[in-house]
Amino acid sequence: MGAIDTMRGVFDNPRQIIEDWKGKGKKVVGYRCVYVPEEIIHAAGMLPYPAFGTPEPIKKADSYFQPCACEFVRNIFDLALDGKFSFLDSMVLCNTCDAIRHLHGMWKTYVDSTPCYMLNNPQKMHDESGFKFYRHELDKFKAVMEELSGNKVTDESLQKSITLYNETRRLLKELNELRNREAPPLSGSESLRISMAAMLMPKEDANPLLKQVIEEVKTRDVEDVDGPRVLITGSIIDNPTLIELVEEMGGVVVSDDLCTSTKYYWHEIKPNDDPMDALVRFHMERSVCACTHPSEDRYDYLQELIREFNVEGVIYFNIKYCHPFVYESAIFKNELEEETPLLVLEADHSLSGLGQLKTRVQAFIEML
Amino acid sequence: MTTKVTVPGKKSLTTTLEISKAIKAYYGGVKAAKAEGKPVIWSYGLIPREIFHAMEAPVLYLEHLPMVLAAKQLSGRYMQVAEEEGLSRDVCAFHRCFAGCAVADERDPYLDNLFVPPDLIVATNLPCMSETKSFLLTADHYDCPYYFMDTPINTWGKEIPDYAIEYFSGQLRGALDFMAEFGYTVDEDKLKEAVRLSKKLVLLWEEIDECRKAVPTPMTSVDGFTACYPLVQLPGTEIGVSIYERLLEELKGKVERKEGVLDDEKLRLLWVGVPPVYNMGLLNYVEKYGAVVVKSTVEYLAGGAYDPAIMDAGRPLESLANKALVDIINPTSQNMVDFIVKSARDFRVDGIIGVVKRTCGLLPGYLRLIKDAVYEQVGVPSTIFDLDGLDIREYDDPSSKANLDSFIETLLASKRR
Repeated sequence: MGAIDTMRGVFDNPRQIIEDWKGKGKKVVGYRCVYVPEEIIHAAGMLPYPAFGTPEPIKKADSYFQPCACEFVRNIFDLALDGKFSFLDSMVLCNTCDAIRHLHGMWKTYVDSTPCYMLNNPQKMHDESGFKFYRHELDKFKAVMEELSGNKVTDESLQKSITLYNETRRLLKELNELRNREAPPLSGSESLRISMAAMLMPKEDANPLLKQVIEEVKTRDVEDVDGPRVLITGSIIDNPTLIELVEEMGGVVVSDDLCTSTKYYWHEIKPNDDPMDALVRFHMERSVCACTHPSEDRYDYLQELIREFNVEGVIYFNIKYCHPFVYESAIFKNELEEETPLLVLEADHSLSGLGQLKTRVQAFIEML
Repeated sequence: MTTKVTVPGKKSLTTTLEISKAIKAYYGGVKAAKAEGKPVIWSYGLIPREIFHAMEAPVLYLEHLPMVLAAKQLSGRYMQVAEEEGLSRDVCAFHRCFAGCAVADERDPYLDNLFVPPDLIVATNLPCMSETKSFLLTADHYDCPYYFMDTPINTWGKEIPDYAIEYFSGQLRGALDFMAEFGYTVDEDKLKEAVRLSKKLVLLWEEIDECRKAVPTPMTSVDGFTACYPLVQLPGTEIGVSIYERLLEELKGKVERKEGVLDDEKLRLLWVGVPPVYNMGLLNYVEKYGAVVVKSTVEYLAGGAYDPAIMDAGRPLESLANKALVDIINPTSQNMVDFIVKSARDFRVDGIIGVVKRTCGLLPGYLRLIKDAVYEQVGVPSTIFDLDGLDIREYDDPSSKANLDSFIETLLASKRR
């Protein structure tokens, strides 16, 4: 089995990773989202585990959250109520959006199996006073992780974790660069699966595999493609269905701006003698989410991706009631459209109205 | 089928009628300031208003204008304008309405009397995400400067740590520096005075609440909805204090005379969420059952539900920062839930009516927690149903009344047992 198949196996069945890890008597800490510093969890000897949703219909969560709350968050909560996250020794959320903020209150009250921690990250980037505030919050978070794991997080262990995670980011970015070729050897949906698998895996295992994946992809025979080059941005996409749909319609998804993909690995943590300070600066100098400020940062980052990957069309995918991205798409729309054709889609996280989306995507690809 | 049978709310107090005049005067003042060439600020309520009052700056507040328009059944028109401009119908009705007012090519005369375009915007991300982004649309439209204050969520409860107060008071200081560029400077003594008056206002509001706890209650939430205006819009002003002194006087008289809203008060209700501002008569509708809405959470939309002891005029910015961080509307959930449990107990309510504004980022995550906590801790049941308090286009009168009918009949039957 090749490395790509192995990673696909991880994506399809992440449970095996948990069982292997837990089999060693170690703890697993779930988190949501990319603003949670995994390196601290790792340095404490635990496995950071990104909580993804499923396309399954919601069963229990709708009697807790009103249906007008973000469906992705309701989905995560549904899985938690159903015991699907009971293997987690703790869940860590961060201050991104209203729905996640409320997930914290709901989780603490109704999910007995797993304690839930809320990391209070500022949303204003590049602000020195925010750095100071966030350092307090990170110190507190580190102490909580130390207590949970029973292990001290030293500067040395944290530096090692930062180096390890930076390597994962670098490798994922290197893999992503291959999509920039005129005929990309890696589809958007494959890329998403690999990225999500790497996020799920212990990085000690993911990094050697990613090196093999890069080699496999580099040596692939690739046919010429003539479809328009598309970038997908917006709310979380933790299932390749939408990307596959775009590709089936003839679009070539050459890049994305998703928290399950480029947002996770685009930036590296800069070297710093004080690793906690390095983390503070990393998280407060990159505006990868629509919840952050100023918006211009996000816009510039998006334009950088569009230019770098010669993008011919942008698909902005908003999960219904995902307010940060719904607003952002309205803010960016006119300016983006001046340079690049744009399609704004709004749908459930479970993509229940796929037929309607298909018609709109098809028309957009044809127009391109 | 949606029916539009709406009735204005019935107010029973003289002082609340006076408040309407104060509201009119406030907007008139903003208009006059603009005419004099003063830059007009747009802002949102959870940025402590005391700073604006201390600077005597003319400010339009995002959450108030849509309410005024909704009361005149005009809010839907401007939401539609925003929707036509590409803003999703799923984003907050307050923000959609305000954005619609901002970008509308034509405004009807009523709005024209209130509306003043912004010269600068001061925004924050409290209490919800809509705050963070929606003002950017209008800043872009008017090409006006925009300052963003980051407000941490409250993960600490009732005791806010010094480092958080330091951070947020720094954000406030940044806003003051920004406004200074437009000629609005704050005198430290005036800021201290604003904090002193703000504390006095809340203490008076607490006394007003004490009167409202009387059985029968001398004041419904229909009056409360207007009466909260000074608490929400005028903290740190003499006028706010003087209105509450008069309101307190009036209520004390009613309590002494045992003069209630209803002669025979059978049920006391607490309203959670934004009431139908275009149809406040719905709150009076329950009176046919001998029920009265004694209190509503919207009265605390932007302040008032905190311990006034945190307000120290000697440390004005820190006090205001503390106030904003501890506010019940600041997520995460526990302060809001605790406050409603306490209100249910203190106001001796028999039931809670929770309404969900479909587009709200806040309440959909609170209502189940509130429902369970109030039932477990005070034994008070709740009903929850959909009702967008601002958007009359989404209002269904028969369905809202049917929800109230069945809940109240259940409460009455339970009382009889």
